[in-house]
Amino acid sequence: MNISKITLSFLIGLLFTGLANFAYAQTEEYKLDGMTFGMPEAEVFTEDYDGPPVVGEYLTMLPNLKPLDYEGNKHHEVRIDIVAQEIEVADGVKYKAWTFGGTVPGPVLHVKEGDKITFVMKNRSDEEVTITEPTKEGSPFMQQVAENNFMKAQPGTMPMPHSMDFHAGTVAKDDKWRSISPGESIKFDWVANYPGSYIYHCGTPSVLMHTAMGQHGVVVVSPKDGYGTDYEVDKEFVVVQSEYYLKKGAGDLYQYDFEAAQSVNPSHVVFNGHQTILHDQPLEANAGDRVRLHVSNNGPSGTSSFHVIGAIFDRVWLEGHPFNEMRGMQTVLLGASSSATIDFIVPEEGKYILIDHEFADAEKGATGTLKAGPRK
Amino acid sequence: MKLLTNIASVATVLSRWTIMVALLSFAADIAWAQQNRVLVPSGSFHSVMPEVEGEAVKVNTFYLDVTAVTNEKFEKFLDQNKNWQPNEVPAVFTNKGYLKHWKEEGQRPDYEDVGRERPVTNVSWFAANAYCQWAGGRLPTLNEWEYSAQLMDFDSSTEINEFTTKLVSWYSSVDTKNIGEVGSTGIKTRVGVKDQFGLIMEWVEDFKPPVADELSLDCGTVGRMQQLGNAYSYAASIRYITRMSYNPRSSTSMIGFRCAYDDIDSKFKLEEEEL
Ligand SMILES: [Cu+2]
Repeated sequence: MNISKITLSFLIGLLFTGLANFAYAQTEEYKLDGMTFGMPEAEVFTEDYDGPPVVGEYLTMLPNLKPLDYEGNKHHEVRIDIVAQEIEVADGVKYKAWTFGGTVPGPVLHVKEGDKITFVMKNRSDEEVTITEPTKEGSPFMQQVAENNFMKAQPGTMPMPHSMDFHAGTVAKDDKWRSISPGESIKFDWVANYPGSYIYHCGTPSVLMHTAMGQHGVVVVSPKDGYGTDYEVDKEFVVVQSEYYLKKGAGDLYQYDFEAAQSVNPSHVVFNGHQTILHDQPLEANAGDRVRLHVSNNGPSGTSSFHVIGAIFDRVWLEGHPFNEMRGMQTVLLGASSSATIDFIVPEEGKYILIDHEFADAEKGATGTLKAGPRK
Repeated sequence: MKLLTNIASVATVLSRWTIMVALLSFAADIAWAQQNRVLVPSGSFHSVMPEVEGEAVKVNTFYLDVTAVTNEKFEKFLDQNKNWQPNEVPAVFTNKGYLKHWKEEGQRPDYEDVGRERPVTNVSWFAANAYCQWAGGRLPTLNEWEYSAQLMDFDSSTEINEFTTKLVSWYSSVDTKNIGEVGSTGIKTRVGVKDQFGLIMEWVEDFKPPVADELSLDCGTVGRMQQLGNAYSYAASIRYITRMSYNPRSSTSMIGFRCAYDDIDSKFKLEEEEL
């Protein structure tokens, strides 16, 4: 009797310790070096949500970056749903993209170092979601896509499991970055501990295929104390380089070229998701302006020797961290998933070509234009 | 099966004429079975997932549907099992997507739209399971399904490469609104099982199998899958990963199923013995 009593309470004790340990491991927030770690466990659930696929104040379409207009830190509620979308990435080249939010790359998220983000994502890959109709809700991103549908996005379906991997987040990947099936949603918190520009992408295997199919984007985390030249910056843009591996399918659509992706032989290398968008809609500035570019190479596999013809980079912060400052650079070498925040002074009126100085990639599309007006 | 045994034993004391009738009805049954199901002989296969080490997996003889279950067959199942109709089925067995493409009144299939002979999709694992039980079988196990899928012959490595490329492209371009009819892929195993690739994805009995202890197949599981030079390696890895991410209530426009059977051969055996 005694023994069994002891055993029972011992077991109950064990159970509680076990639970407590588990809870501790999952929810206890802690600080190190002024940074926040230890997020609650991700929630996976089903919801009836059929609203705008992108929700949040600071989410914009490339090359826009919504300025941060708040003091101190903010808690962001952000939604980026997964939707399949038929999009055009070069003249006449359409494919059924796997996307975050409906475009490739997905929306740019702008937060500040130390901000907390509560992120929700529904896997709507089995739903036809229209992203191009004007909506009052959602984010500036939704409005921008409705006004400027240069990818000619059309809803499609392509049910697959997907996940979200924010490089800007520091969490346990087997919890927060887990794959969810079509119809499911995931919700988790993360804190933007490090300043810089970070890619996000789908981490579901084959991660090469998922990223190449279009599931990537950028989070810009502005440093809480800024960069040294902030007060002089006139224009600020986000430029994302990435590759497509496409070949003609049976109908009009292109499809994923497995062999080309395996051998890193892209069909298109692009800025901001489209082969000519940065020429069709050049970045604009004036002579004498200090232009800031957040340049991210989202890959999935290529490198970029980013250069602006006619300019020298006055300041370069590798990965966008203010401590990683370099000066006077002609090109910045970006491996896959690397970024830099780059300041340069526009010397005079004219056209400046943004280019991957690996010319084979430039000839596949990795170029763009900055059009400079006269000095004001 | 019980019924058949009874008839057969009774038959010995009945007139010759009765026996003939009994045999004729067997023959019709067997013909139907042979058309729709084929014997997959026992054997073994090595997992295409390089993470799975050790001995080849042995698989016993089983029967497998030649094609996936069609919309028409599934409707027949619903006729006889009202509790699986979309408006009756308990929410624990499906999610909202269950048969969502059957838009007719009372959620019946509009065959103009979904096709009689197209594979049924938007069915949960629970529903697929119930169907196969009703049909006198069960869902194939993961190993049975994968083993069957490997029973294909290629003439050259070029052919294998072409097949792989085609398969992986298929994953990136399925038009779930216009899925072909069963049997339409032209892809057929050595024993006659059709469309295991290139039409839909299919439920297996152990829908969320542990592939290997150390392999979670979540974010960060990359590579290693492409190195085998095996026609199925890459496509199979996508299948395994997809399976891992689904739960038994999931129903999407890309997942259907076919059934396996252990003892359909009893009909054949019976026939041999009694004759
Ligand atoms: Cu994905």
